[in-house]
Amino acid sequence: MLGPNGAGKTTLLRILCGLIDPTVGNVATAGLPPTEARGTIGFVPPGERTFYMRLRALENLEFFGRLYGMRRDEARARALTLMERVELADALERRVGTYSQGMLKRLAVARAMLTNPSILLVDEATHDLDPAGARRIRELARQAADEGAAVLWATQRIEEIRGFADAVTVLASGRVRFQGTVADLLLHSSSSRYLVELTDGNRSVRSITSALTKAVRGLGSIVPVDSSGRRNYILSLTEGIPLGKALASIMAARFQIIACREERSEIEEAFLSLTGKDPR
Amino acid sequence: MSATLYDAPLANDFGRVAAFFRRDLLVAWSYRVAFFADALNLVAQVVVFSFVARMVNPATLPQFGGRPTDYMAFVTVGIALTAFLQLGLGRMSSAIRGEQLIGTLESLLVSPIRPAVLLFGCVAYDLVYIPIRTAIFLVSIAAVFGFGLHASGAGEAAVIVLLFMPLVWGLGIASAAGVLTFRRGSGLVGPVAFGLTLLSGAYFPLSLLPGWLRAIARVNPIAIALDGAREALLGGAGWKELAPRFGILAVASVLAVVGGTIAFNLALRRERRLGTIGLY
Repeated sequence: MLGPNGAGKTTLLRILCGLIDPTVGNVATAGLPPTEARGTIGFVPPGERTFYMRLRALENLEFFGRLYGMRRDEARARALTLMERVELADALERRVGTYSQGMLKRLAVARAMLTNPSILLVDEATHDLDPAGARRIRELARQAADEGAAVLWATQRIEEIRGFADAVTVLASGRVRFQGTVADLLLHSSSSRYLVELTDGNRSVRSITSALTKAVRGLGSIVPVDSSGRRNYILSLTEGIPLGKALASIMAARFQIIACREERSEIEEAFLSLTGKDPR
Repeated sequence: MSATLYDAPLANDFGRVAAFFRRDLLVAWSYRVAFFADALNLVAQVVVFSFVARMVNPATLPQFGGRPTDYMAFVTVGIALTAFLQLGLGRMSSAIRGEQLIGTLESLLVSPIRPAVLLFGCVAYDLVYIPIRTAIFLVSIAAVFGFGLHASGAGEAAVIVLLFMPLVWGLGIASAAGVLTFRRGSGLVGPVAFGLTLLSGAYFPLSLLPGWLRAIARVNPIAIALDGAREALLGGAGWKELAPRFGILAVASVLAVVGGTIAFNLALRRERRLGTIGLY
């Protein structure tokens, strides 16, 4: 579930796990009213302050396991298994207050998996995590999905859905703007700005800019990325003009193109066209 | 999904309350200094009142079981029961407030526990700790200051405490509802506890109050509990003499628990409707 700040992602997740009542309409989670379905839902909340910091990690998991109706020995055994799975086995006797953000998030995933839930709700789990930590959390969610859980992953980090999400819902201002696969989402992309790296054949900056402007006349515009103006340019295409035609024209003006890539990703373009918001 | 989950909710509720008890015991043990600070605070109170006792003419104090008493004996029972009141009231609201502040309230409410279990669980540790603390306090002070506690009244006094506990718990639940609704509603606890203590005769005989306040104090269940405890422990009153007080306390306790639970459920429903459970 992708959406900018204020789109309603967290609100929807809270409704699904029974923390908020919907103002209108009805919600069924796994066919039940959310408050009755709580035992079948695992929830990874946003933020890191969701544990008892004075208690050890194992004690925390045991406590929450027992709230879900497990016997103490059962809760302990399950907690040990999950601590192993989220790679916190070495830290299970440490107080949670000493955990890093990445460890806390992995612990939150372990807690959400205590009951082996059929639905896993994950809210902004990779927010504030370094890339490696974020990837580990996504792997854990993927693992849960592979084992049969329906994982609903709410995020505003648009790049993380590529290669990760099976289906995407884009929310904006509390409304669904898109529902489908990542590939379908890319169809909404209308990328038109490219970063072009080229060699100039030792011409002066002024003559390079002038020659490039002349080359893309009628196709779009091109401007230097920085004041040096020697290698990197932003090429903006007029609607309907193929990229290849503009590049061919630049090459015909005796420039060598070293690299060309979209200034924004396709997913970002699609996100912007659907929500009208710039996430940066 | 584990087969043991979500079945037999009533049986599981006992395990959940036990989990809360263990959690709070572990947290309290992690703050060992607080144990000693609490004991020191009690000793400090006793030292102060031991000097006050020298100024008080025992003839101004009520008689229990037809026998005069001294101020130290009189006030010790008062301190013991009002400490019970203050701890019970304060800890119930601070338990909910604490869950709000450390961010665990939502994690608790996502689990399949009923509000009554949450409320009972939050004070399960105190319901065990405070009576033990009270009993140790009473016996220790009686030994040090050499006033006689009637062992024959211990059973009656214990029943008074048992009937008094749900009363305090009910008032605490009502204050927790205030915290849930107004966040800093725990500020209400202080004046309420002060008013109840002032009109309880904990530190001075009710006969010293102006007539109109005395009339109010006469129906104060805290005063009734205190008077009953003194009659039992200092005057050796039996079951028959104390029966009317048991009845009043039982009714007051039922009203407090029912009223408090209704108030808490209404507060929780309001928070779910507004979507503000996690706010503090």
